[in-house]
Amino acid sequence: MNAPGFDPGRAAYYALNGAIIVFLLTPIAIIAVFALNPTPYISFPPVGVTLRWFVKFLATEDFMVALWLSLRIAVVVLLLSMLIGGACALALARGQLPGARLLTAFFMSPLMLPAILTGLALFQVFQLPSVDRPVWGLMLGHTLVAVPYVLRTTLAVLANFDTRLEEAAASLGAAPLRVFYEVTLPLIRPGVIAGGIFAFIVSFDQFPISLFLVPPKGETLPVVLFNYMKFDLDGAIAAASMVSILLALSVVLLLERIIGLKAYVKL
Amino acid sequence: MASAAGVLPTAMPVPCPARPAVSPVAWLVAPALLLFVVFFVMPFGVMALLSVLSGNPVQVPEVELTWRHYARFLGDDLYSDALWATLRIGAVTTAAALLTGYPLAHWMARLKSRLGHALLLMAVIAPMLTGIVVRTFAWMTILQDKGAINTTLIGLGLIDKPLPLMYNEFGTVVALVHIYVPFMVLTLTGVIGRIDERLEQAARSLGASRLRAFWEVTLPLSMPGIFAGSLLVFALSISAYVTPFLMGGTNVLTLPMLIYQQVSSSFNLGFAGALGVILLTVSLVVVVAYNHVLARLSGQEGLT
Repeated sequence: MNAPGFDPGRAAYYALNGAIIVFLLTPIAIIAVFALNPTPYISFPPVGVTLRWFVKFLATEDFMVALWLSLRIAVVVLLLSMLIGGACALALARGQLPGARLLTAFFMSPLMLPAILTGLALFQVFQLPSVDRPVWGLMLGHTLVAVPYVLRTTLAVLANFDTRLEEAAASLGAAPLRVFYEVTLPLIRPGVIAGGIFAFIVSFDQFPISLFLVPPKGETLPVVLFNYMKFDLDGAIAAASMVSILLALSVVLLLERIIGLKAYVKL
Repeated sequence: MASAAGVLPTAMPVPCPARPAVSPVAWLVAPALLLFVVFFVMPFGVMALLSVLSGNPVQVPEVELTWRHYARFLGDDLYSDALWATLRIGAVTTAAALLTGYPLAHWMARLKSRLGHALLLMAVIAPMLTGIVVRTFAWMTILQDKGAINTTLIGLGLIDKPLPLMYNEFGTVVALVHIYVPFMVLTLTGVIGRIDERLEQAARSLGASRLRAFWEVTLPLSMPGIFAGSLLVFALSISAYVTPFLMGGTNVLTLPMLIYQQVSSSFNLGFAGALGVILLTVSLVVVVAYNHVLARLSGQEGLT
């Protein structure tokens, strides 16, 4: 039925998709170009290759302080969201809670409700008594938007989980605690870890909540970059962006190794 | 046997549960519930409360109920224009993300090669894991007057002066589409992948052209995915702050930008609260619709 040889319909289909992939990936390539281009302002075409912007990024104290803070917050968020989200997923999948569906939608809702409003609302809470915004406020704010990611990956694992394994362990005389540690935990671990890695990235890149909750002298990296970009667009921003992108890419590879990317297609 | 199926033995020291049907495992929901009530529900309550008060109730004891923040919103065209700009940018972004995302999602769903599939998925997810600030920066370097596109076109002698690609709604939408199209692709891929390819083949064997088979079989069957993906992208793009701020410059004013302005330079918590409630209302309508579509989509499956 298919005519052999050139098929204009097929060709258009692949050309369109090729163009879309170029659209998706070009910005990342462009950043790499500007991070290595020696001219003091963003200009095109590039005239050479230099590492001076990476050096400037690494030598600027504001950037480094912010990077360090962002990393510390992201690690705390990773751990907190794995604990809270993993436990929550178990309860929702196994607790036979009335209204579990509604609760799941509720716990997923920070993903869909504007994060900028979550930031505003938390800001107003701290503003009521006019106290200084503490760093734990920022951490818990990030955890709030990170928990849904852990929840999603863990629930996905739990959905394909054979409960008879636990029953078998229990019927062979394992105590509930032992069943949990030796059967349940190893089985849900990939989901929890994958969600935790997502949580790390979400926190590291988080902007709208940070914008409202950062104390004046303790800004996270995205906020520092944003403030810098308002006035200056030089290669240091591109270099900082490359550092973030490389971090993200290595995380994607890590994800692929741990659980396989397919799990995330299910939104 | 059946009654024991869902009961997971637990490590928690469990108080007697209120209902015998609820498993002790249900208590594991407590930390998440605590976090969400204190850091999510309560703050939104504070926001709503401040939007109808004349001042900060903790610092000024004699506050009164007032509608004046909402009246201010309704009384000035600047604010309703900002609301319209927000919705317009959201709608255009959604439509463009659908047109961009559908072909890619279709390809990804129908691709047989595992390696090809993994590479495509990587291309979609990699931008997603790159921060919003970073991706907006990338688009600034591409679309500004001295950016990649304008310098190239001028260099080729195709144009004399730079095209106005940035500091307007066009630039804002381009960057927003790039930022949110992965959500569209991932939602659509799942739905298109579940459509039985044989339906399309049947239509073609009955004489329909490939385009007609797509138009009359695949497209209608992927409608739930189109709805879900569109609602998701719309919800995300009406709440964007960084991208309209940097890409729109002074020519674009959206509700999120207005909200941050009220907090950072006007220190008007009440009015910021009212703007927040208005944006929240729009979002809630979208979210409820999204969950409705998703629930229909997944049938008995849980909402994930």
